[in-house]
Amino acid sequence: MIEKNNAGRIVFNILNYGFMAIFAVLCIAPIWHVLMASISNPRMLMNASGILWKPMGKATFSGYELISKNKDILAGYGNTLIYVIWHVTAGTMCTTVAGYLVSRKNFKLQKPLLLFIMFTMMFSGGLIPTYMVIRSLGMINTRWVLMIPGMMNAFYIVMMKSAFDQLPESFEESAKLDGAGPLTILFRILVPLVKANIAVIIMFTIVIHWNAWYPASIYMPKVRDKWPLQLFMRELLIQNDSAKVLSGNQALSKADFTSNLVKYCVTVIGTLPILLVYPFVQKYFVKGVTLGGVKG
Amino acid sequence: METSVTKASKLRRLRGWRADFSLNKGLYFLAVPIFLYFLIFCYLPMFGLVISFENYKPQLGVLGSKWVGFKNFADFFGGPNFLTILRNTLVISFLGLIVGFPASILYALLLNEVGVKWFRKTVQTVHVLPYFVSMVVICGLIIEFCATNGVVTDGLVSLLGIPRENLLQNPKYFWWINLFSDLWQGLGYGAIFFVSAIASVSQELHEAAAIDGAGRIRRAWHITLPGIMPAIVTMFVLRCGMLMQVGGDKILLLYNPSIYETADVISTHVQRMGIEKMQYGYSSAVGLFNSVVGTILLIVSNSVSRKLTDTSIV
Repeated sequence: MIEKNNAGRIVFNILNYGFMAIFAVLCIAPIWHVLMASISNPRMLMNASGILWKPMGKATFSGYELISKNKDILAGYGNTLIYVIWHVTAGTMCTTVAGYLVSRKNFKLQKPLLLFIMFTMMFSGGLIPTYMVIRSLGMINTRWVLMIPGMMNAFYIVMMKSAFDQLPESFEESAKLDGAGPLTILFRILVPLVKANIAVIIMFTIVIHWNAWYPASIYMPKVRDKWPLQLFMRELLIQNDSAKVLSGNQALSKADFTSNLVKYCVTVIGTLPILLVYPFVQKYFVKGVTLGGVKG
Repeated sequence: METSVTKASKLRRLRGWRADFSLNKGLYFLAVPIFLYFLIFCYLPMFGLVISFENYKPQLGVLGSKWVGFKNFADFFGGPNFLTILRNTLVISFLGLIVGFPASILYALLLNEVGVKWFRKTVQTVHVLPYFVSMVVICGLIIEFCATNGVVTDGLVSLLGIPRENLLQNPKYFWWINLFSDLWQGLGYGAIFFVSAIASVSQELHEAAAIDGAGRIRRAWHITLPGIMPAIVTMFVLRCGMLMQVGGDKILLLYNPSIYETADVISTHVQRMGIEKMQYGYSSAVGLFNSVVGTILLIVSNSVSRKLTDTSIV
């Protein structure tokens, strides 16, 4: 393509590249700031102002050492892993089965079940009635409350349905003739063909459950040993209360200095895994967004 | 494909339920847990909405509590905070719609003009990163940066000459803090959709226009923009359908009583009155009002979208 390289074009390019670069710095700066603060000298960190571009004082990992022995933080990390793994395995499996069911053309329940599921995209009972149902099931302050209620949602099921819809029926027919049951057909024959779509759902599931704090805050306010990491992070970052998390540690006398440091270290260990993995799995998120309807 | 689908559905219609059950026994068994899940966690709460019309007392139960008709709704509409809460919900939504939405389109168009491929790929990845930072961390950073000696406060004091204070304690600033932090977090992510729409615009049209002497900006205006118009309309309509759903979780983390006057929205009001003050009947009525308006918006916006672009979400 032939381009006119006139003056206006050059000015536009400089401004455009400049804007893109500055916005990239703006995106990274707060994250970098947290990373640098987490290895700063805790005493000097108390007087920090502005964005930290390098650690204050000599770089130290004392904050990380402290949280590596903290039972709340460790429990929170473990709990978050449990919830994420549960939703990635059990949740995705149920979503796949449901998507399969509502895509079977030769199944009388297909239409009614699809409408039953899709109606929940249009209307919901809202927070309070849902809370009351969950409370009457006796799930409040148990692990189940973060595992069962969020297992499936209509958006992902519809996404799986359209993936299954695109497969030719002949695959299934021949397996049926061989006497295979629906679960065998689904997981042996069809799932490998839609694994890209399943990967999309898994990626969104990981991010959503890794970062979720709200359900835990209303459904399990009292059981600290079952809290996901984000709730401890809320206590440290939002409520600015590090006494509860640090009370188990012998370092209480130093808590004034260290609490500030711990805040940043916990943020790093709670945020960095997702950010580091993202560039390698970006294509799944792009695919998910373009498939439409999926909103985080 | 087309004929086999219609054949299958015809056969299915002719078949009785009993015959279908013996043919698809496995599918029926699999459908039971899926059905129960949605029944319990989505439909039971809908029936639970009857407490919106009751003076609900937990010890009396849903069936035993006293029926009060529309009293809870009247309490909400006539309450001292109704107009404030409604205004805040709409203002925060509309700010996102009229600023955030065009911004992500503009950003996508600008990104498309970045010719150096490695640079474009890198900045795009970096610009999406904030979306994956958890809301708790985002709000923790906002609280730190907007504190009396925070970096945002510093900047605004020296640039605009505002008095030095904790910005999250002054109701005047909340809408803007919310808008700009949303922009920071969501611009790159919100643009992904448009970036891929732009990528699918015909390259031949661009080449033809370039030969005719159209510059980059004119081509963006006359070719790219019309090319992604269906995507824009679809997204815009979807966003309109969600006007009443202001994300309460961010506000819950950020607000405090001194800025309720600009920060309290319907979802935070429901959460405070319901979960904290345990006024179940009242807050479920407020939630029902929100759901009904939201559903109407969604249905209207979907039919508009279907008329305009032949695409709909639900």
